[in-house]
Amino acid sequence: MSPSRRSTLRNIVAVARREFVFRGRTRTFRWTTAFLVVVGVALALSPVIIRFFEQGGPGERIEVVVGSSEPTVDVTATLNVLLNASATGSPDANASPDFRVESTTDLDAARTRASDGSTSAVLALSRTGDGDLAFTLYSKDGPLARSSLVIRQAASSIAIQDRLNRAGIPAIDQARLFAPAEFVMEQADPGAPAGAASVEALAGTFAISFALSILLFMAIILYGQWVAFSVAEEKNSRVMEVVLAAATPFQLLSGKVVGVGGLAIVQYVIVLVPSVIAILLQGQIATLVFGGNAGVDLPSGISIGLLGVFGVMFVLGFALYSVLYAGAASLVSRQEDVNQIVAPLTLVSVGGYLVATYSSTGLIPIDSPLVVIMSFIPFFSPYLMLSRLGQGAATPLEVVAAILILVAFIPVALWIAARLYRSGVLLYGQRPTPRTLYRALRGQ
Amino acid sequence: MSLVLDNLVKRFGATTALDGISFSVEQGQVFGFLGPNGAGKTTTMRIILDILRPDGGTATWNGTPTTHVPRNTWGYLPEERGLYPRLEVLEQLVFFASLYGIPRREAAARARDWLARFRIPNYERRRAEELSKGNQQKVQLIAAILHEPEVVIMDEPFAGLDPVNVSLLKEAFDEMRQRGTTLIFSTHQMEMVEELCEAVAIIDHGKLVLGGPIRDVKRSSGRRVVRLGVEGDWDLPWLSELEGVTVIRPGQDHVELNVAPGHDPQEVLNAAIARGERVTQFLIADPSIEQVFIERIGRPPSEEGHLAQAGSPSAEATG
Repeated sequence: MSPSRRSTLRNIVAVARREFVFRGRTRTFRWTTAFLVVVGVALALSPVIIRFFEQGGPGERIEVVVGSSEPTVDVTATLNVLLNASATGSPDANASPDFRVESTTDLDAARTRASDGSTSAVLALSRTGDGDLAFTLYSKDGPLARSSLVIRQAASSIAIQDRLNRAGIPAIDQARLFAPAEFVMEQADPGAPAGAASVEALAGTFAISFALSILLFMAIILYGQWVAFSVAEEKNSRVMEVVLAAATPFQLLSGKVVGVGGLAIVQYVIVLVPSVIAILLQGQIATLVFGGNAGVDLPSGISIGLLGVFGVMFVLGFALYSVLYAGAASLVSRQEDVNQIVAPLTLVSVGGYLVATYSSTGLIPIDSPLVVIMSFIPFFSPYLMLSRLGQGAATPLEVVAAILILVAFIPVALWIAARLYRSGVLLYGQRPTPRTLYRALRGQ
Repeated sequence: MSLVLDNLVKRFGATTALDGISFSVEQGQVFGFLGPNGAGKTTTMRIILDILRPDGGTATWNGTPTTHVPRNTWGYLPEERGLYPRLEVLEQLVFFASLYGIPRREAAARARDWLARFRIPNYERRRAEELSKGNQQKVQLIAAILHEPEVVIMDEPFAGLDPVNVSLLKEAFDEMRQRGTTLIFSTHQMEMVEELCEAVAIIDHGKLVLGGPIRDVKRSSGRRVVRLGVEGDWDLPWLSELEGVTVIRPGQDHVELNVAPGHDPQEVLNAAIARGERVTQFLIADPSIEQVFIERIGRPPSEEGHLAQAGSPSAEATG
């Protein structure tokens, strides 16, 4: 290794070390990390937590007044089953019900209870002129409230059952009448494994690429801004000139990105590991809390390969954006101006993120030319190649190609940033205009 | 073995900061870099350090372009002092030294040594923002010299220091010079230049006005300064009758006279004796650097130290 190479490496390490150690030692860093760990674990356990709070309550009380309608169905019992089934998705013997349905006779007394809140709603039955069941719901909730909607749905079912009973159709046939049709989805490609396009598998991959896009986006924006603020801080305290006399802009920028990036990865791991453990142990925790299988499942669709690509895209995407963030931040003199100067870059990042989430949720077809082309462009590829891969819409070769393009582009970004930096850091009190930018890039 | 600047040109937009500056500094020299504010001193220093790149001309150290000279050749004390505000003093010093390739342990030992020598040994755990300006400046200077560079470049090292710290700094200069370190510094304090420098360069408006060994610079105008003291009356009206002689500084004990080029200072002594004065002092000297500066630049080195002309609208404008 030549002496200049050695000093380059040495200075990058020294700058990175300072960034890593001193930023990591700040109280802000420790508190945000602790806060993010709590948030991460809470999010990971949210299904369990939500169930826990739901089961704690006795459920909403619904009172039924049959009056003189003489229904052919046991309204109270049927309503009880229907309401609680629609609330949890599947009838579950162990879970406590969302609704308690009770029968009563005094409508006026029940309405009073509904208005003072001791009962959630009162459902009164009557008969129309042509003999159909009619329902009136007395409730403080609006017509679009979840409870109003599920009660309305259940009431329709009861009315239909009542009509069928009056028409003399036996109960056993009724069950068959209401049974849902068999509906299977398969991939168009005959070579694809059977069941790959099932609703559960698809929902899984959508959720995973959606979640990974969010994680990547947050990391790039948050940690990129750390780099930007660090540059502005050095410029603001005028320490920049001393450092620049000792190290080249290239060394400084690289060191900053490596140091902050390293700390970012450390924080990311500290936050993600407990969250992932929480996700993996969700079933066990649910069993512990609720006893038996509480119907909390693992997300499907995560693979080692996908996580590996996520890691690579995280590092490369962060490197690309943070290098340019640093170059941009060197043009302003005050920390308050940092957000303004990096805004165009942030918008580019938001663009990639939005297209990625739209394609993850199906708003934009994952194989549309827009998505395919963007998945190779350095600024967007971290987001889009990841969502394409997550949904099985990218070949390994395409992923490697996108990564190589990104890797090749980072030195270009570093060169641009170092140019901006060299002329930017000694500019004080000047508003960066397109002309100053142009001059900076030309090295004037 | 020398630092050679050859025809350096640097433009910032429409402003020409350096307009063809050339001079050289011999290795081991203590070199004063003089000029009014805005003359281009800081820009020249930044080019030597490769913080800025020139639009024209070259800067070389022992024949190698300064862009290719290892950065640990230089130590730099910038005019705008800058330390990491929230970093402890010792950590700052170790960080800066590590950028120059000094191992951390070694750097810490040297830093403690220097902090003690600058009489701030108990400040190593203090954060920079807690230090007084003078002490920050000492820390900054230590940061510049900790890696024992061949050349130390200092922009206004004496500005803002109290007399005690000024003498500490002068002693440090002396030590470095004995070790063979080349010292280049800018200052407005001409008595420092007289005391410390072997050679100077005076620049104005991005151009070299005068440069070379200090004796040559002082004698460059050809004029001499005479100090004359006589017994009794100090008011000597006959002096103004002498050709080529002007009074620079009248005084109780003696007067200081300027003798224009081409006139023999000895004439003053002859004239005094001829007029029957009893001469108590007679001294022929070179003009001071300050006088040379004023003569060549047209204003004092530090205008802040002098009253602006009354009623002059341009009184606030500095070069």
